[in-house]
Amino acid sequence: MTIIEVEGIRKAFGKNVAVNDVSFKAERGRIFGLLGPNGAGKTTTIRMINNIIMPDEGNITINGVAASPETQKMIGYMPEERGLYKKMKVEEQLMYLTQLKGMKAKDAKKAIRYWLERFGAADWTKKEVGELSKGMSQKIQFIATIAHDPDIYIFDEPFSGLDPINSETLKEIIIELKNNGKTILFSTHRMEQVEQMCDDICLFNNGKAVLQGGLREIKASFGKNTINLEFEGDGTFLDKLQDVRINNRSTNFAEIRVLNGQSMQDILKLAMEHAEIHKFERIEPSLNEIFISTVGEDNLKAQQEA
Amino acid sequence: MDFKKITLVLKREYITRARSKSFILSTILTPLVLIAFGALMVWIVSGDTDSEKVVGLVDNTEILAPKLIELDADRYTDVSHLPIDSVKSMVMREEIDAYLVLDEVHIETNENAELTYAGSGGLAFTSSVRGDLRQVIQEERLVRANVTDEIRELFERRPGLDSRKLAEDGTAEDDKAGFMSGVGFVLGLLIFIGLFGYGAMLMRSVIEEKTNRIVEVITSSIKPMELLIGKVIGVCLLGFTQFAIWVVMYIGLSIAAVPIAGALMQDQITEMTSSEEMTQAAAEAGFDPASLEVLSIDPMIFVYFFLFFIFGFFMYAALFAAVGSAVDSEQDTQQFMPILMVPIMGAYFINTRVMVDPDSTLSVVASIFPLTSPINMITRIAVTDVPFWQIGASLIALIATFFGVMWMSAKIYRVGILMYGKKASWGDLLKWIRQS
Repeated sequence: MTIIEVEGIRKAFGKNVAVNDVSFKAERGRIFGLLGPNGAGKTTTIRMINNIIMPDEGNITINGVAASPETQKMIGYMPEERGLYKKMKVEEQLMYLTQLKGMKAKDAKKAIRYWLERFGAADWTKKEVGELSKGMSQKIQFIATIAHDPDIYIFDEPFSGLDPINSETLKEIIIELKNNGKTILFSTHRMEQVEQMCDDICLFNNGKAVLQGGLREIKASFGKNTINLEFEGDGTFLDKLQDVRINNRSTNFAEIRVLNGQSMQDILKLAMEHAEIHKFERIEPSLNEIFISTVGEDNLKAQQEA
Repeated sequence: MDFKKITLVLKREYITRARSKSFILSTILTPLVLIAFGALMVWIVSGDTDSEKVVGLVDNTEILAPKLIELDADRYTDVSHLPIDSVKSMVMREEIDAYLVLDEVHIETNENAELTYAGSGGLAFTSSVRGDLRQVIQEERLVRANVTDEIRELFERRPGLDSRKLAEDGTAEDDKAGFMSGVGFVLGLLIFIGLFGYGAMLMRSVIEEKTNRIVEVITSSIKPMELLIGKVIGVCLLGFTQFAIWVVMYIGLSIAAVPIAGALMQDQITEMTSSEEMTQAAAEAGFDPASLEVLSIDPMIFVYFFLFFIFGFFMYAALFAAVGSAVDSEQDTQQFMPILMVPIMGAYFINTRVMVDPDSTLSVVASIFPLTSPINMITRIAVTDVPFWQIGASLIALIATFFGVMWMSAKIYRVGILMYGKKASWGDLLKWIRQS
């Protein structure tokens, strides 16, 4: 069942078109990943879903309701730039933010107590946020996002700036939320995180959604056109290969994407002539590779240089 | 508009600020600073410094010196028996401050007497000696002219000037211009402090939310406009709270002060022997029991004060908030501050003119022009009878400007609060207004 529906949205800031005719659907009870390099339009899209800014064109519906103050209550949002009032006490602050989401004071208090307890933060209620360590205030930030028990959770670059422990905690929470039937949408520019967690993805580049669908289906559709090669010896033969793209190259490892239907056996032969082969495996391409081949290498470069 | 959310924002803004140390300190210190400043002004203006100076009289007429000494025994001392050189050296040794040589010619002709002093004389000092001398020479000339007692008495009766103001119903009432211009200036000053102090407070609060990066979390729950309105009202109520505390402090002090002042006066009054002496003393002190009545203030002034403060504050608050939203730190506000500083400071300086000349063209224009009217109009209302159409025009212009400014500021605010790490230029602000 569709819970977030984005239909042909467009947003321009002056001459800069940040989001250009983007449509996608997120299904209830699944984890949806918005992927793409920095500046691709992910944050602008997320802000529009949160009704923080309005699209110039197009519609966004949450649970069948057009994006509005009403839909804001259904969402728990953690922006990329995180922050809290430094001079406010932990509990007061959480009460304020949770009540702003429309929760009654009594229920808010209960929920906040529960989560503080769960994060082992019950002793901090009377502390000012400015006195807390970074890891501690990150926990408070999670609580602020989830305490009003929304159906939808949106995290913008949730893992950036998190220490490994909190990063792991967040992953666990996201999985737990999913198991409770909640919907999670998050954005990231680091593809490998998505591979582990997302059910569905939408790839962004230059303000456009260039590829979307279930992660498994997308990967399968690209076929096993990639070689995972482990070897020992002189690796310079890799430079002689034509019609391939080499990702993740190191002294004894290479991920080789085969283009234009070149025979993989030829590559194996060439490799055997120059080095000792430890492993030669045909695999599905990585998301990074999928992204590059979708956007086009030249396109990507031009954009990164710009 | 979601008033429940606005109330939440307002409450947070109000409570966290009211509990802050800076608020408590400024509530206590501001009146103290004002009182100290007022006392200093009174001391400077009324400082009776010339009475300390002593003038030696070298009198060759033997008539004028006794008269002058009778006039002011503290100031004048007869040194006629000493040679002029020792009088000079007395001045040099600072035993006396100056000496005055008096001759028959000064009575008989219009030749000027000479006052010789060492160090600084001071205009107030010389002019008061001149006044004394004129009076005694005048008297002596009258005696010599052998005029009748009647004429002499005519000269002795010094005409004074009491000012009275003609009220609209045609009855003359005691003029309280001096007192009311003081009240007017203080009210204008309070609005000035309010616009500036609370405006800057709001601006810092907006910057704080931006630099803490909390604002994006908040705008995912509430519209920027609602957030802005909640903050403005919260700070405004904080201002009223502070004013109210000051009023209570003032009333409390007055209640405590009246019995003390009364007791002091009673002592002085009982010391006087005859009732004649009493009235004379009262007249000299310029004290008239009726003058207390003068101190009552028309309550309408406070209604106007309230109106002009609220709308003036809302208008400037919107501007301060827009500036706060466009910058990343307080230091960055400097490029935008002139647009706020110039009119507020201007109104403050114009106010010193409005106080003394409330009906001049400058005063009328400044009290209708919306950026200065909150400060200047309230002073005019206190000092003079402002035609109702002018008050109306001023309020309408102020409210219209408030809506215009709010509309513009809300657009800047909406975009600005989400712009991190970028210092906006004037061009950016225009772009933000146009694009949203």
